[in-house]
Amino acid sequence: MTMSKVAEVLQAEVLVKGDGMSRRVGHVMASDLMSDVLLVDEEDMLLLTSLASDQVLRTAQIVGAVGVVVVNGKPLPSSMVNVANDLGMTLATSRLSKYDACVAVHTARHPL
Amino acid sequence: MSTSDSQPPIASEERTTLGETDNDPIVLLELIQRLKVRDVMTSNLVTVPRDATMQQAQELMRQKKISSVPVEEKGRLFGLVSIDDIIRALVAGTIHESCGRHMTTKLVVLEDDMPLSFALRYFDRYHYGRFPVINRDRQLVGIICHRDINRALLVELTQELHRLEGASLQKDGDDGSGSLYLLREFPICKYDFENAGKAANQIKQVLQEKKLPPKIIRRIAVAAYELEINLCVHSDGGVLSWQISNGRSEIVARDAGPGIEDVEWACRDGASTANEWIRSLGFGAGMGLVNVRRVSDEFDIKSKKGSGTTVKSIIYIEDKAS
Repeated sequence: MTMSKVAEVLQAEVLVKGDGMSRRVGHVMASDLMSDVLLVDEEDMLLLTSLASDQVLRTAQIVGAVGVVVVNGKPLPSSMVNVANDLGMTLATSRLSKYDACVAVHTARHPL
Repeated sequence: MSTSDSQPPIASEERTTLGETDNDPIVLLELIQRLKVRDVMTSNLVTVPRDATMQQAQELMRQKKISSVPVEEKGRLFGLVSIDDIIRALVAGTIHESCGRHMTTKLVVLEDDMPLSFALRYFDRYHYGRFPVINRDRQLVGIICHRDINRALLVELTQELHRLEGASLQKDGDDGSGSLYLLREFPICKYDFENAGKAANQIKQVLQEKKLPPKIIRRIAVAAYELEINLCVHSDGGVLSWQISNGRSEIVARDAGPGIEDVEWACRDGASTANEWIRSLGFGAGMGLVNVRRVSDEFDIKSKKGSGTTVKSIIYIEDKAS
């Protein structure tokens, strides 16, 4: 499933398309703890988080994430859009909770 | 009473703004983070007691060619007699009275373990020509003025120049034996979350341009990022150095304080001294050093409470580099 399709499933608003929209999402990591994110060894990972800070994007870039979706409809600081543009990182927001976002991606990938 | 209230300001053209802009050379930014006030200050002090006369203070300043003299007894700082105070005493005819009556008493002081960058901000903010320096026990241990800073920076820059001359013999690209050679240094400021992570991001971009294997790039980037965040969160500021030579990546995070009391404990899963604010930013879970050790082929940490910490991460790249 591509990042573009995942954004659709999450009813997400894509703020920065970056380099990830056509990339395949192979894994989803849902976390607000950046050190946990840094432990994951998957290259085609999507990061779901309720943390709205520049460091989320820098962490995502370090692990080569496909993109970042900030959940719970959290308002983002304007600096996040600038940092995402600088890094070429796909950035989106979704009104879904972290749990519901995980369920939505899983259900889209493995229909009941 | 004719005493002045505060230390005399200096002319605006003497003011320094070093470290206030992004245009300052990185080596200078690193130096003003690494050096502490105690490394720069004059500690061989000339002082007078409170019952010394202003005339005695004036004569001492003339003999020693200094523009102010601290009023001190048994290490305790009571005030400062400046040239302004002397002039006021001469005009008011109180030159034969005690320093205790006519000294400047509202003082701004620096602590000896503050970074030099902090002292520079004080010079810029208060426009004073000098600051008394006290230690944690509130004892007077020195005095610092622009001349002290200039002298210390010149000495340090000369040493740095020698080091860089040695390093510049090897430039990016080749270490002489056909292996990749890279060298970068990044000054990291305490609590500078706006920029935290930029150094690691740059390191990753350089490695991608050099087309190293993705798994190697990720390990180096993770080590650099964790160490950069550690410098930002836990140290008083420091330097992240990164070098690739002889087929290996070496990242060194070096700071000048405050040091780690129990290094073994700090390297355990979940061990953290981070506050709630840092945790709210997604860090401080106590996984940083653990994660660095996990991705490193060689890992070393040296620290002492009250002084600095140096963490080294070595990752082999030679056999796997394309």
